[in-house]
Amino acid sequence: MFNIAPDHAIGLYFGLLALPLALIAIRLRPARHLVPGTVLAASVLMAMSGAIHLGLIGTHREETITALLFLFNGVAYILLSVAFTWRWWRPASAGLLVATLLGYLGYIALGFDSPDQVAVATKLLELTALGLVLVPVRGESRRRTRRWASLGVALPALTLITASTVWIVDLARPADAQHAHAGALLQATNEVATPEQNSAAARLYAETKAAILKYQDPKVAYAAGYRPGGPSNMPSSHWMNQRYVDAGYVMDPHRPQGLVYANTKHGPVLLGAMFQMKRIGQFGPDPGGPLTAWHQHENICVTPVGLEFSLMTPFATCPLGAIDVSVPPMLHVWIVDNPGGPFAVDIDEGVVKSIDRA
Amino acid sequence: MIAHSESSRPEAVFVLLLLQSMLWTVAGLSAIPFALAGEVFMLGLGLASLLVALATCLLAIGVLWRRRRARRWVIAVEITSLVGSLILLLLPIGANHGPVALMTNLALPIAVILLLRKQREAFS
Repeated sequence: MFNIAPDHAIGLYFGLLALPLALIAIRLRPARHLVPGTVLAASVLMAMSGAIHLGLIGTHREETITALLFLFNGVAYILLSVAFTWRWWRPASAGLLVATLLGYLGYIALGFDSPDQVAVATKLLELTALGLVLVPVRGESRRRTRRWASLGVALPALTLITASTVWIVDLARPADAQHAHAGALLQATNEVATPEQNSAAARLYAETKAAILKYQDPKVAYAAGYRPGGPSNMPSSHWMNQRYVDAGYVMDPHRPQGLVYANTKHGPVLLGAMFQMKRIGQFGPDPGGPLTAWHQHENICVTPVGLEFSLMTPFATCPLGAIDVSVPPMLHVWIVDNPGGPFAVDIDEGVVKSIDRA
Repeated sequence: MIAHSESSRPEAVFVLLLLQSMLWTVAGLSAIPFALAGEVFMLGLGLASLLVALATCLLAIGVLWRRRRARRWVIAVEITSLVGSLILLLLPIGANHGPVALMTNLALPIAVILLLRKQREAFS
């Protein structure tokens, strides 16, 4: 949902192009003095949304129903953005906006499309337009109570429904296999490991395990410069060695940038090592192909206090005080039996719990 | 249709602030699953976000009622939010630069500030 689908990018250009054109078109119409500014603003936003929908027809010609829906939506939005003096403009616009919003959410929930930045941006435009269509202004006396009630219910409810649907769909069905892990982008690799890649992965595992076994004693790790990060009440913690991070060693089994420990009642228990690159977007060497794919955590909200994290919302916001960051690519090597494999993105929670119980 | 002599900018700002309040609500709610998983600070930030959402909603009502103090507060809050967002965008920390982030963190506060900028006489 934080990417722009290649076949949707054109919609964004159409929408941006429509903004100045819609503003000029409104300035050329004397009828603009007959309606409130909120109506004019809603017209501009609907023209932008209409242009985005029309722009997407070209890249969706193969999908006839989708292309027809884009055509209907685009034309209807453009017509309504022009007809702002029409007697039934408000109910027609509000109806179209609500139907489009809910229709899109149904569309992605049924798996016909995946949410991306162009879609979420369009939904934001439509939500704003809906608010501007419904809000009564001073001097208007018709149906004020009904419009206030509609605005008070529709805008908050539709915003929450849109955010939650987009988020659930994205987590349940990532747009591509590289985003299979929430908040993490996997390195692109071949699909099935070759025999050479299998042996290279086994070699990396053996070398790393042998090199870090000494850190089973956390005091040795501490003496080597590893420091725990994040809250200690979590099942596991990453201990980072800032010297190795700054030095930028690349996948050196003897100098991994981080170690991962389970926080058990008996004290820290070593789970594995973590190699980390220096720069965002710079994936490391991948000797094991799909077995040793690096991953990069993207769009995570980090608290400056306590180093805790959450995921950024579909509307690109974080809780107050949390900062949106992406972390350079990393590769874990788990020295305990992990159901996901020795190089999995995460350690299985059950494994950590069983170590804690042991 | 009615000819409009009075500006409807406060109503437009009300809608934008209501939307912004909902964005804070979503951000606050998003912290709760992580807080339940043991991240105690996230609970605090989530609750703080929900309080900001409430405050934004109250400020929106103040602007709608054309209260001068509400206008001043909104401009101050939006400038602060805009500066914070710009810093995050400029720092090399991998913050999201997508169109949605630009709309919610830059375009929305700028629109609110521009709409309220020349409206001092409309507020009492």
